[in-house]
Amino acid sequence: MTKHTTSMGGAMLLALALASFPAPARGAIPGVEGPSFSLTARAGFVSTPEGGSIYSWGYADGAGLMQYPGPSLLVDEGDVVTVTLSNELPVNVSIVFPGQQGVTALGGVPGALTSEVEPGGTPVTYQFTAARPGTYQYFTGTDTQLGVEMGLVGALIVRSATAGWAYGHADGAYDREFLVLETEMDPIIHELVETGRIAEVDFTAYRPVYWFLNGRSAPDTMVPAGAQWFPHQPYSCMPMSHPGDRLLVRLINAGRGLHPFHTHGQHMRIIAQDGRLLESAPGAGADLSFLRFTTTVAPGGTEDAIYSWTGDNLGWDVYGHRPGDPLEPGEYALDHGKPFPVIMPDPKDLEPGPYYAGSPFLGVAGYRPPVAGTSPNAHAGYVFMWHSHKEYEMVNNDTPPGGMMTMLIVEHPDVPVMEM
Amino acid sequence: MTRANNEKGRYRMNATNRHLGALLAALAVVVAAGPARAAISAQCPADTDGMDTDGDGNAGNDNVCRHLIASDGYADMADGRLLYVFGFSEILSGEPLDMAVMNHTLSANAPAPTMAFREGQRVYLTLSNAGFMVRPDLFDPHSVHWHGFPNAAPIFDGMPDSTVTIKMDASQPYFYSVVDPGTYLYHCHVEATEHIQMGMVGQLYVQPKQNMLPAGTVLGSFTHRRGQKYGYNDGDGSSRYDVEVALQLDSFDPDFHDASESVQPLPFALMEDRYFLINGRGYPDTVRRGPMPNSFDGQLSQKIDAQVRARRGQRVLLRLSNLSVTEHFTVTLQGIPMHVVGEDARLLRGPTGLDLSYDTTSVTLGGGETADVILDTTGVVPGTYFLYTTNLNFLSNDAEDNGGMMTEVVILG
Repeated sequence: MTKHTTSMGGAMLLALALASFPAPARGAIPGVEGPSFSLTARAGFVSTPEGGSIYSWGYADGAGLMQYPGPSLLVDEGDVVTVTLSNELPVNVSIVFPGQQGVTALGGVPGALTSEVEPGGTPVTYQFTAARPGTYQYFTGTDTQLGVEMGLVGALIVRSATAGWAYGHADGAYDREFLVLETEMDPIIHELVETGRIAEVDFTAYRPVYWFLNGRSAPDTMVPAGAQWFPHQPYSCMPMSHPGDRLLVRLINAGRGLHPFHTHGQHMRIIAQDGRLLESAPGAGADLSFLRFTTTVAPGGTEDAIYSWTGDNLGWDVYGHRPGDPLEPGEYALDHGKPFPVIMPDPKDLEPGPYYAGSPFLGVAGYRPPVAGTSPNAHAGYVFMWHSHKEYEMVNNDTPPGGMMTMLIVEHPDVPVMEM
Repeated sequence: MTRANNEKGRYRMNATNRHLGALLAALAVVVAAGPARAAISAQCPADTDGMDTDGDGNAGNDNVCRHLIASDGYADMADGRLLYVFGFSEILSGEPLDMAVMNHTLSANAPAPTMAFREGQRVYLTLSNAGFMVRPDLFDPHSVHWHGFPNAAPIFDGMPDSTVTIKMDASQPYFYSVVDPGTYLYHCHVEATEHIQMGMVGQLYVQPKQNMLPAGTVLGSFTHRRGQKYGYNDGDGSSRYDVEVALQLDSFDPDFHDASESVQPLPFALMEDRYFLINGRGYPDTVRRGPMPNSFDGQLSQKIDAQVRARRGQRVLLRLSNLSVTEHFTVTLQGIPMHVVGEDARLLRGPTGLDLSYDTTSVTLGGGETADVILDTTGVVPGTYFLYTTNLNFLSNDAEDNGGMMTEVVILG
């Protein structure tokens, strides 16, 4: 099952990645622009942080490599979306688009849920109008239990007609958007499929031991998108922010388990579920939205959340200002200049984490200044873990920590936010 | 048969360890008597700002100091099995700090001492680390993660990657300006999967300032009377209660605990919880009132029972939380309606004020989720009612049935 690959230090990988990949547009979710897509189902290998390599199936963008998850399909509200699917796998595949209505399928052979493509068979073309903005997913409608486990799943994002709004209302306004797509894998199933023993796959014995965000397990979630040593896992999951930014978090449960997803640092306001704004009437805005510090997205479901860390109300100045210093943009004025409330112990008594820069203050390096080019937190940002609170999912096949976890970095206002 | 043999084997191993523990305890005394060092200390500044931030009419009492100390210890499961645990205990005001490590060795509480605060208080929480007596090979630091604290700063968030955590024989201060009422929870975030599974979990909630209103204050169609309490600053009395009970759902995998105790590789991938707990106990221990001694050394390590008692007509606020690392739990209560008024430490109300609270017969919580549930016992016939998980396979204490995640709600006449 597993091909072992060389494992390198995360910081070094990060440095390499930063050197090699130009940043995409600000706060955009990487994916393939629509409205017409050509996908091919093919096989490949998913890398795991402890050195594993798992045979998987996935959707590829045209002639590209298989991707896990499949390419994020980016379309605009009202687009007539066309997806042509070819198949190089040894089994039939298809695509279903939950939440979309009037999907037509041309070509291929009839299947239980939709038309399917036989191995090497004639492609199927699916078409629908992306009538409503929102966060959706797509996956194979053929032997779905096995197909999704093997990796045939991806995100569909329908952008609203108003740029910077998730939905047709200012309550969905955001500064940066991020995808958080949750999946899991049981490598025994993948090994059986790889070795031609599909008939022996037994889902009654299903036991996932890998958990992914956007197709990567921590700490690989924090390696930039497009890193060349993840040829089949092009997406990272690394939210970045300035204080006060409104982050749109597009959460998708694309697997079968329940994952209580916890955001350190701040609550999320859940503004939409399954591609619908939580509103009491059309145009009312997200007046049925609610705040959660942990949210469990149902399998097959999606949620959109607004997260905004401001640093308000802490009772001390997070920038370490003296009373006469100028305010930072958006700083909570009532705490300006208020002293740090306690005396930190001698560093010898403390175990510092890799993101700790040696000071309690945002953007201020203390006794452990970051080393340029190698530190995962080069500008002494505030780092908050986002993770499944079903904590046995923060493990990579018996090796903790890892799994369904990543970090948000809130940078000082003077520091440009890097796109990861 | 095989299983019974295995367990006996494990207990033999445990006995060896306990012997080792006693030896190390003796050693620790020697070390403690050695050269002085910073060790255990606490910061507890006086409230001298002249402002009454918690609204109780006293401008000099808004600073609240608590002192936790992390160690290992033992807890009994309801079928009689003794489990090795990690946990927190509390250093009470007036305890000699130079003796704290010795006095709190092997003193883990399961669950940790409950932290109840009031909106407007400034909390100075100290965490000290007494080390693990049974696992002297481990040098684990510890932390307190106030789960859900709004706008947390990493320095007081306890997440080890982004901040500092406290080593053995030392103390770290945490500070929280408490602004948002509601039901939170706390746990150690160091090696979180392991430390939480091992029991480093506790309850934490914040009572709202609305409790402090002068009698006769009108809140919409509701008039506040002296002594009335609320889950939130609801502005209409809708979260009012007479009796408040915090119930934390959790679960333990005994194989994991035994592997930890006997210095074996920890079964992360194979983790499967078999004890289902409310406030660290399985039924019927949940309704055994008051602190419970463990069968290892008689310490009152399981201090918090889970029985709910109220008089007919009273309103009960259940502060429900889940800190299982493996399971979502659904709980139900037969015979008394449940009204959910808050989730994740926020009043269930939309941004424009729409009421999102709801009646239900079941509440489902994943790890790290909380809910505030009002039980209105008006018209409820006095008697004993059961609150239990509808994940019926979790109504067990390992192999023993009719136990697990269940407790009683006793309505008195």
